[in-house]
Amino acid sequence: MLFGSNSGRVSPQDKLKKSPRLWAGFAFPGTIWLIALFALPFYAVACIAFGTIDPIFRDAVPQWNPLSWDFTQARQVLTSLATGPLRGVGLRTIVYVFCAMTLCFVVGFPIAYFLARHAGKRKMMLLVLIIVPFWVNYLMRMLAWVNLLSVDGLFTRFMRIFGINYNWLDGSPITVTLGLVYGYIPFLILPLFATLDRLDWRLIDAARDLGANSRQAFRLVTLPMSRAGLVAAGVLIALPMFGDYYTNDLLSRSPSTEMIGNQIDFFLNASSQPQNGALLVLTLSLFLLLLMSFYLRSTRQQSRQVTR
Amino acid sequence: MGRRDFLRNLAITSGAITFGGSLLAACGGSTETESGGLSIGTPQNPIKLPVTTDAIADGLPNESGTLEILNWADYQNPDSIAIFEEKFGCKVVTSIYDTEEAAIAKLRNGTFKPDLILGMTDTGLAKLVAADLLQPLNKSYIPNFGNVISGLQNPYYDLESQYTVPYFIYGNGIGYRTDRIDKNAFAGNGYDTLWDPQFSGKLALLDSYRDTLAMAMFRAGNFDANTTDAAVITKAGDDLVALREATNPKVDILAYQELPAGNRDINFTWSGDLFTALQYLPEGVKPDVLGFWYPDKTIAKNDFMCVTKAAKAPVLAHQLINFLSDTDNALLNREYVGYQPALESITVDLLISSGTIPESLVDALVTPEKYDAGIAQVSLEPQADALWLEQWTRFTAG
Repeated sequence: MLFGSNSGRVSPQDKLKKSPRLWAGFAFPGTIWLIALFALPFYAVACIAFGTIDPIFRDAVPQWNPLSWDFTQARQVLTSLATGPLRGVGLRTIVYVFCAMTLCFVVGFPIAYFLARHAGKRKMMLLVLIIVPFWVNYLMRMLAWVNLLSVDGLFTRFMRIFGINYNWLDGSPITVTLGLVYGYIPFLILPLFATLDRLDWRLIDAARDLGANSRQAFRLVTLPMSRAGLVAAGVLIALPMFGDYYTNDLLSRSPSTEMIGNQIDFFLNASSQPQNGALLVLTLSLFLLLLMSFYLRSTRQQSRQVTR
Repeated sequence: MGRRDFLRNLAITSGAITFGGSLLAACGGSTETESGGLSIGTPQNPIKLPVTTDAIADGLPNESGTLEILNWADYQNPDSIAIFEEKFGCKVVTSIYDTEEAAIAKLRNGTFKPDLILGMTDTGLAKLVAADLLQPLNKSYIPNFGNVISGLQNPYYDLESQYTVPYFIYGNGIGYRTDRIDKNAFAGNGYDTLWDPQFSGKLALLDSYRDTLAMAMFRAGNFDANTTDAAVITKAGDDLVALREATNPKVDILAYQELPAGNRDINFTWSGDLFTALQYLPEGVKPDVLGFWYPDKTIAKNDFMCVTKAAKAPVLAHQLINFLSDTDNALLNREYVGYQPALESITVDLLISSGTIPESLVDALVTPEKYDAGIAQVSLEPQADALWLEQWTRFTAG
């Protein structure tokens, strides 16, 4: 007798179930990591944002005591975001990210769907082929596009064959948005593929058997079942897009396409008002926290539905 | 904590961590200065900078190992550096900076620890000295100091050249493509060309708030490049916003690449960039496609070389300053960099006779007369600096 009938002994699975501390222990390294590399730096950013400026060097002087935080500069930055020069940057960032995300979904969802549903045995090979170009460093890929999109670039000359003579690098919002799409789309395809690949496709067949046409089956079955993946993928690409600054730096460099990340970069690295950079980081983080809350709420609702 | 909670918490933080870079960058160390203020020299009030330490002693042997340099991108000839390395048996490692403000911040918090800084200007010198980051030079290691343009051997920003040796000279003006813009376009107030909507999308300005706001002031007839007058600064900001609306300009320091590549027609930039641009011309494109309009009244200035107080190889740093101040070495360095060395022997006539300067770029050369007539740009007091930055933000925020 090897297993099962020894009622006096506890199996390893039972031990795990009865050891909640063990699960908590798994989170310990991550917790330490987050405290050291997220919570503390984030507190430092807040201390800079609500601190003072060195009168000589115009560097940030962090105020480590929260009781002494000064909110004067914060009011100015918020006013600027609401009604001043930074308002346009904030709105433009939201519009660019929204457009880029929409394009990512339009392009990425069919790819992920095809890979999960129709690629068969070639599924992994095709997935790798799609992802491989993105192993190249983001900066290098964008610089390559700068060459392709320049006035005498290969892509620009190719488009002229079709009568499209467009100066892609003249500070164009289209170029910046497409750059964001190109840069972040693999991070959308991967989680979407993971979600779609786990779908029980027999439910689609059942829907069809019950009279749904292919569009109805997609709308009423596939789309709701892939909602968690869509939201996760959206959040995954939205977060870095909102903080992105180098796509604009490389493909535009025009004030008319400045995103909030460019202003953060400027204030922190090239101005004598680093406080403003820290304040914009905090504001952006709060905004993204709202997106993250939506994601958590969505996943919680989904898990409840599954449990029922 | 259940598995789901664990994963949920991980998801929250993985999202938040995307900001890690910005957050960590924001945490760059900074300490409040104990200095009483900035020592700012002006042509009207030259200054002898305070010295807090002795220069290195005479006759020390060259260090072996590595010499670390902090410099702008493409601002030294790799061939010149290779010759120096061979001659002095050392290795030269170069770090790059793209704004003086960022470089000074990183020097102060220890991110950069170079032996020698190249290309810094007097707008940054006051802060470098206030932060006690420089050591005085021992001229016995720099016999070629005598080659420096006589008017710059005792500059207003550093009387007796205690800390600095001039590197290159240049003036601010407008680079353009002669195959797309006629030079007569600059007749009258040449600055107006930058506000011309016909160049929309093909125009760029310097990513330097001091230079570009000053340019807007000059266009309006205000020739104080260091003004603290809020009305003048605001007017310059208004004019730049109008320029932005009219021409959708780019803001960078890439004129030397983008003009020769044909990606833009016109660029407010430093004169030396046009000579650097000659090396970036595509094959088959003639050098005379590049032109430069040098305004009658504009900023003319020089940058310089200086040794850091914490230099690990101060003798080698002095040797490289001396090496680059030699006429032949400076000419070789200029072949790559393009800018005019600040040496008496390298005259405009010499450069023209070398055959490397196309006729269309003769105006970009800084003659002694142009340099003397140039408007000086000095460090600003913090309150005035904040006014300039406020207007710059209005412009760059789009």
